[in-house]
Amino acid sequence: MLSNITKKTRDNLVSYALLSPFLIIFIVFLAFPIFYSLYLSMCEKTGYSISNLTFVGIKNYSILIHDIEFWWSLLLTFCYAAMTIPGGIALSLLLAMLLNNKLPGKTIFRSAFFLPNVLDLLVVGIIWKLLYSGGGYITTFLSFFGISMKSGILGNPWTALLGIAIAMILKGAGFGMILFLAALQNIPQAIYEAADIDGATKTQQFFKITLPLLKPIILFMVIMGTMASLNAFTEIYAMTDNGGPVVLLGNHTLGATKLTGYYLFSKWQNHEYGYAAAMSYVLLIIAVLISLINSYILRRED
Amino acid sequence: MKKFVLYTGLILSGILVMFPFVWMFSTAFKIPGTALKFQLFPHSIAEFHSMYTLENFSKVWHEMNFSTYFIHSLIVAGTAAFFATLFAMLAGYAFAKKNFFGKEKLYYLLLSTMMIPGMMYMIPQFVIIVKMGWYNTYKAMIIPHLASVFGILLLRQFIETIPDSLLEAARIDGAGEIQILRRIIIPLAFPVIITLFLMTFLFHWSNFLWQLVVTDPGLSANIRTLPVALALFQGPHGNEWELMMAASCFSIVPIAILFLFAQKFFIEGMTQGAVKG
Repeated sequence: MLSNITKKTRDNLVSYALLSPFLIIFIVFLAFPIFYSLYLSMCEKTGYSISNLTFVGIKNYSILIHDIEFWWSLLLTFCYAAMTIPGGIALSLLLAMLLNNKLPGKTIFRSAFFLPNVLDLLVVGIIWKLLYSGGGYITTFLSFFGISMKSGILGNPWTALLGIAIAMILKGAGFGMILFLAALQNIPQAIYEAADIDGATKTQQFFKITLPLLKPIILFMVIMGTMASLNAFTEIYAMTDNGGPVVLLGNHTLGATKLTGYYLFSKWQNHEYGYAAAMSYVLLIIAVLISLINSYILRRED
Repeated sequence: MKKFVLYTGLILSGILVMFPFVWMFSTAFKIPGTALKFQLFPHSIAEFHSMYTLENFSKVWHEMNFSTYFIHSLIVAGTAAFFATLFAMLAGYAFAKKNFFGKEKLYYLLLSTMMIPGMMYMIPQFVIIVKMGWYNTYKAMIIPHLASVFGILLLRQFIETIPDSLLEAARIDGAGEIQILRRIIIPLAFPVIITLFLMTFLFHWSNFLWQLVVTDPGLSANIRTLPVALALFQGPHGNEWELMMAASCFSIVPIAILFLFAQKFFIEGMTQGAVKG
């Protein structure tokens, strides 16, 4: 009995000793900030130093709900997600289906498609910025088709966000491709043979067999894409200045690529830490809601 | 016929995905001011010399201090990846092979934080760093990101597959925890450890936002990392495309080479979370 207790205590001690370096960092920099952020969101910076924070209650939140720029940034974030998620899924599925054949040299293509995933986001953004600029390769290419873009794709409020989305879809497609490829290879060939015998066309087979079996991965990519849209910052920073070309809405001047992540950053730049913290809390709530919806869908599937 | 269609599709999408990098690479060698010329191949050797040069690289590397920034990035990403992997390995071992108070509850608490968007941490972490007096230091860039929940997930799953009998046998022979880690866990889990190291290295190599937020643009020359240096470079030199692309190569090419040699680890690491989680 005594040795049992001591063994248990010893196990606890050893385990927490092993966990401690991780846990200390986790508590200080990941757990505590969630609560600290709530406190900060109810503060206002009153002096020059960061220590001069005054408690102002829910003031920041009440300003936030009337802030047109904030709602605009959420709308843009939604649009960005609505472009990058379906576009990313479609392209990566296409690449996976091309590679899901016995072809010599297909591993070279697989590497080439995956490579952009590991490269620095800021650098990729800068490259695309130059390609998209007025007189850049892509604008010149488009002018052959009679599409004239003097201010460049990123200088036009209608195309700026789309341009960023396309660049990001091409950068990220290899990731989804690997997931889809693994799933496609797990689908038994016999199912397709049975469908062939029943006279199903290739299109029918794709929509009735392939797509339903890929659903978990599609769902996963939707979640990842939503997170990436909520966090979108570096690509915006790299490709457009101060939130993109100006959009006039009533008497408000808005940025065509000022997504919530970038707006949050611009508030940080203005030293409005309390307001930015309030905004991050709204982002947190959105993310929690999305993951709840996700787990609801998954549970219903089971 | 089917093969022809497939190869056409593959080659077209390959061009689509790779052309920005080919363009970056070729522009980096061009004589300043000629980035927009469409001609890629010279007609003669004399023309080759009037089109391409290595000068951009030496200018960016020496005069514009990108060699120093490159080393700073290596220090930040290397240190952070080493400690994040070490901490995740210790914790992953505890979760896989030990019984302790609150184990499963703690594990689910850790996993649930993976759903929090990273952007949310920017403000509170920044205020904490400033209050600790770490602003504009390597510590600020590295320490807040040393707790990798993803790493614990990855290592726990792997270490659980190591048979208990192996650890028991070592204990009977008188091995302590440190020896068990050194002689059994690390050698057996080495592929996963390498994967995690590469993943975290990559994360820090590209962690632009945080490195920008915790360093002072005016005072950070002695700790500035590559992405921040590139962003600051873009302002005054926005029109010198050839120089910018040469500078970009210093961030892209080493990672691309690393990827070619260790692709298995990269691809497994990045897709593992999705397949198992």
